[in-house]
This record gives sequence, C-alpha cells and structure tokens, in this order.
Amino acid sequence: MTSRDAILTAIRTVRPAPVARPDVGARVAAFEPFSHPVSRFVEAAEAAAACVVRGRRDELGELLAAAYPALGRNVSVLSALDPAAPPPLPHSFADTDVFVCEGVLGVAENGAVWLPLSRLRYRSALFLATNVIVVLDSEAIVDTLHHAYARIDVSEDDYGVFVAGPSKTADIEQSLVIGAHGPKSLTLVLLEPGNARIVDAAASSVRDASLRPTSS
Amino acid sequence: MTTLTTRAPLPVLEHATGTRAPTDHSPVDHAAAAAVFNANPSRVDWHDAAIWFAREKRDRAVALVPEWEMLRELASDIKEHTLSHLDEYLVAFETAATANGATVHWARDAEEHNRIVHDILVAAKVRHLVKSKSMLTEECGLNAYLEARGIGVVDTDLGERIVQLRGEHPSHIVTPAIHLTKEEVGETFAEHLGTPVGMSDPNELTAAARVHLREKFLDAHAAMTGVNFALAETGGVVVCTNEGNADLGIVLAPVHIASMGIEKLIPGPNELAVFLRLLARSATGQRVTVYTSHMHRPAAGHELHIVLVDNGRTEQLSRPDFWRSLKCIRCGACMNTCPVYRRSGGYSYGATVPGPIGSILAPGMDLEKYSALPFASTLCGSCTAVCPVKIDIDAQLYRWRQIVVEAGHASAKKQAASRLGGVVLANRFLLSLAGKVMRATMRFVPRSLMRVLAGEWARERELPLPPRESFSAWYQARGDKQVLRSAQDDNHRSAQDDTRRAAQDDNGRSAQDDRQP
Repeated sequence: MTSRDAILTAIRTVRPAPVARPDVGARVAAFEPFSHPVSRFVEAAEAAAACVVRGRRDELGELLAAAYPALGRNVSVLSALDPAAPPPLPHSFADTDVFVCEGVLGVAENGAVWLPLSRLRYRSALFLATNVIVVLDSEAIVDTLHHAYARIDVSEDDYGVFVAGPSKTADIEQSLVIGAHGPKSLTLVLLEPGNARIVDAAASSVRDASLRPTSS
Repeated sequence: MTTLTTRAPLPVLEHATGTRAPTDHSPVDHAAAAAVFNANPSRVDWHDAAIWFAREKRDRAVALVPEWEMLRELASDIKEHTLSHLDEYLVAFETAATANGATVHWARDAEEHNRIVHDILVAAKVRHLVKSKSMLTEECGLNAYLEARGIGVVDTDLGERIVQLRGEHPSHIVTPAIHLTKEEVGETFAEHLGTPVGMSDPNELTAAARVHLREKFLDAHAAMTGVNFALAETGGVVVCTNEGNADLGIVLAPVHIASMGIEKLIPGPNELAVFLRLLARSATGQRVTVYTSHMHRPAAGHELHIVLVDNGRTEQLSRPDFWRSLKCIRCGACMNTCPVYRRSGGYSYGATVPGPIGSILAPGMDLEKYSALPFASTLCGSCTAVCPVKIDIDAQLYRWRQIVVEAGHASAKKQAASRLGGVVLANRFLLSLAGKVMRATMRFVPRSLMRVLAGEWARERELPLPPRESFSAWYQARGDKQVLRSAQDDNHRSAQDDTRRAAQDDNGRSAQDDRQP
C-alpha cells in the first residue's frame, strides 16, 4: 500500500463524526460596513510602518523623481513594457533601489494590498528592492479580508501576495527592526480623483520616509 | 521608527541551551529543566515580561475587532469540519494542486518526509537549501538528516538562523531566539559572521544578518517553506511571514518544497480570511503579517513540491479526547499567556512545540518521553481563553494527566501523593481531620521543617499562613444572606480589614470549626 493510501485509509477509519461546514459568507454579511474605509486603511498601513501619500496618476513620474533623486536603479512595471521581451532572471533585480507596482485592492482593517503576479510582473523585485512603491486606487479599498477574498480569485495567478508595510523583524529581544530581508521602506501612493496638484507635498513626505533611519 | 519595548536590557546570565535532539527518547524532566532556567531570577523576570508583552499586544489588537469571538467560533467550526472530512479534503487538495502543476507527496512519518525531501534535492542536484521557518521540519529533524548527506541547510528566519548558528533549537514557535540577549546574539554573529566584537544593537545585528543571508538567497538552488494554510478548493498553499524570507527563497530558487502537516488544510479562500484575521493578532498583536503569500503554480521552469505529512496526526485524530488539538494554527498565544511557560522557558519542555499546546500534542507522539508535560501547568485555563481556534487545552492537559498515571509513567512520589490525595479528598471525615491538623500544626512547626515537609511545592514559594477556620465552618456560620452581603462588602474592604475581621470571627466561633455542611 502506498503512503497515500495508508494515510487516507487510516483517516477514514478514525475520523470524528461529521461536523457541518459553517456558512462564513452569511456571518460576514451581517457586519456593519466601515464608515471611513480609506482613513481606516491609512491608519492601518501606517501602523504597519508604511508611508502613505496621496497623488494623481499623471503625477507619478514627478513624484518618484522627487522622492528618490539620489537613488540609482529603479524598476517600474507601470511604464510601457515590451510584452515580447524575454523575462529577465529573477536574480537580476538584486541591485534595485526602487520597485514600483500597482495593487489590485487594499484592505481597510489591516492596511494590506493585494499584489498578484500579473500586477507584479517581476515578483523577485518586490522582495529584492530596497524601497517599494505601491500605487493603489483609493476606490479599491474594501473593509476586511472577507470582502477582499470575495472580490479576488486567489488561484487566477500563479502567485499572489498581500503586503502590509516594509519587511520587519522583532527576533532580537523583541526590538522592532524595519527592513529584515526585504524592502526597508514601503510607500503607498493612494490615487485620488480631482485636479489639485498634490505632488509637492507628497514628494517631500516620501523623501522624509526614505531618509528616515530604520533604527529605533 | 519605534521600538516595541522600553524595558531594561536583558541581563546576561547562563541558562539551559536547547541542544536536545529530536532523536533523544529519554523522558523529559520539565521540573529539572525549569530549575536550570530558574537559577537566574533576573533572566526569568525578563523572559516573563518580554513574553507577557506579546500577550498584551494581542489583547490590544483583539479589542479593535468587535466580531472577535464570532471569528474564534467560526475558526473552530471550520477546523472541526475539515478534520472530520480530512480524507476528502486531502484528495480534493491533491487533485487541484496536481492540476496546477505542483507535485504532491505523502509521508507517513518523519523518516519518510526527510527521504522524500532528500530525493527531490538529489534529483535536482541541489547542494544549498534555504529554509524559512517550519516547525514541521524541526519535528522531523530534517536539518541533521540533510547535513549528514552533504546538503547545506540555511535557516533564513532571523531568530531561527541565530539558534541554528548556536547549534540550538527554537525556544518559541514565533520568536525562536526569545531566550537570548542581544549581547549573546552579538557574540554569535561575531563568531560566525565576522561582525565586530561587542556589537549588540538589534538594528546593526539585523543589518549584518541581512547581508549574510542575502548572499545565501542568491546562491540557493532550492527553497523550503512551511505552510500556514492549504486550500483544498484551489490547491494552493499560503505562507505568512514578516521578514519576507519565505518569498525571497521561493522567487529566486528554481525548486520550492513546501512541507505541511495534514491538519493545515482548510476548505477555501472564504475560510482563509477567518484564520488570517485571527493568526497575526493572536501571535504578535499585528493586524496581519507583512507578507501573506499564496502559491498556486510554479514559475516557468521552476518546480513546486508539496509534502503532506502525517507523523502521528492520524493517531491524534483517532483520540476522542484529543483530536481537537489538531485545530492548532501555531500562533503561540497559549505560550505567551502561560505563567509556567513564561517562567520556565521553551527548552524546559524538551519538545519541538513547547508550552500548553505542545504539552497536549507531544504526549500523543511519545507518552513516556513527554509524560511530565501535562503536569507543567497550573490548569488556570488562560491558554484556552486566548486560543483563536478554541482548543480546550486545559481540559486536555487534565485528561493526559490521568492517562500518564494510568500508564504508570508518573514518578513514584507523584503517584503516592495522588493516591493519598484521592483518599483524603474523597472522605469528608479525613478531609476535615487533615485540615484541622494542618491548621493547628502549620502555625507552630518551624518554617524550615515545613519547607522540607512541603517538598517541591515550597522550593520557589513561601508557604502561606494557615486560615483560622475551614471554609465550611465560615460558610455555616454566616448563612446565605450574610455570605452574599459579606462578599459585596469584601470588594470595598482592604485586605487588612479582612484579616482583622477573620480573627474576630475566629474568637467567637471556633467551636463550630468542624461542623459539616
């Protein structure tokens, strides 16, 4: 008998009396909707050590140039990419200073953004880059993870990740250190409709965040 | 940025190290191991406070979720549903994962798991493996198995890398190096990574580890991860980390091996949301981990292997009193809240998973070896109160105690004390007599002698002064109404007043001491 059959046969012999599958959707439907999901999202993202700025899509180029003037290599998947170009080796992003991508949706309760492979394109850059910028439409923010999973198809992409803030650790004496193995900073650019020029204020706050020491 | 804590630095002292190998089958003596840890009171105080801090952060995070209790209820029901249909869900998962392009393997025990992993690595000609945190591979003793066969394993979780460099095992499932001071980490890094002697700043140490491990990630031919949740409907596995180490391994190395206990399965994404909302809040007080990664298909030219491991889980599933322990999602909340864990350290349990949950899982693996663990508890029930999947841990600890004693694994002293206790507590006359003798003698026998008589109980504690009267005498003397009023009054009185009042009562009513209710 294969191990597979041995394990399955054993489970069939000993498994407990059937317990019904609870209806998660029905319980979630009864939740009170958040009154201010965007501000909840901003508060949660900042609690996860992300830097949140607001801007317009047509300001992005200026915003990035102003925020990271001294940094060398930046990789953006928002600019026009040649779909026929052969995919680069994942290791080739090891010296990336800034990686820019756009999220599908944000979760108000925890500040996480859903980044499927189709949006990341170069998934290794999300982890190898020193700084990551995630652009998100402020209208794409849902209340909780229940609402998020109802909206996305997790198996549509080979790989997908919820990201909440820059990488961090507290493994040495429980001292929080930002920038463990992955990015040392994560900036969320919340896109807003309207015509106001907000790039100047936004850029200076990003610059502050990127220059902020990662120490306590 | 902020620091999580402003506590004084951890005092540097000697302590027990976690060098016990999983292959060592001699019985664990929790009390003796805890005594080693307790030899350094300032270390114990720091450990206690550091871990309680995690419990406090959990409480603050939980308070922000009004539906918390409903989520716990749901999570418990989902796990019980899945476990009671586990064979069906495993087959559904295998079918979906295989259709996704993953290779699914089945391992009955640790040995088979290690062999499967080794075979995959040999077939792919892998010499260097990076591994993110996986308590299952600790349980299976995988590192030693692979290293004996010439394959280098690098644990990439910072805490796990620290204990690996020291030749130790994790002392906590979420923060593996919580038993170490930053100075000790500095010494370890100076020795193994060549950092300057005396470096002890957590930021500098983490930065050094980042450089060291970045090289390992870029060089690795294969990446191993654990699995937090596996989705039967879609055939995907979900891994939660804060450091990003699981993802760095997976996105760079061409071979990904994900090892999981068969109890990690849940039906699908709707259920996943429930567990993700509970996991990080229970573990560290975060609302969610930094990375929640969903792996469904390998990248072009990459391999994805998923190893489903039984290793005693089916046997645990067969035990009516203990199968619910398999609901565990490894958040560590029961450790953080446990007064015994916080003051005895993770190594005192001698098991891969320490603390309350480990103490109900381990006896199922090896009753004789782990027979001391169900007694490493005050049965206060705090673990059960914080458990995000509502495992009745304290009740299971109590049940294991009975099984340990029935199987003859309790020490002769414990058996004799239990037998005597059983006789006395079952007999009103004897109980009353024993109380009377104790109340009369404890006041007059010298403390030094009492400490000897009380044995281990008095080793770390002062004996209390005996009360003047028994509870039943006190209860009888007041009558129901008075008791109620007295209880209310007590809330407003100082302890001193209580003592004075008790003494006055005693003078007037001592004759009623032995009256039975």
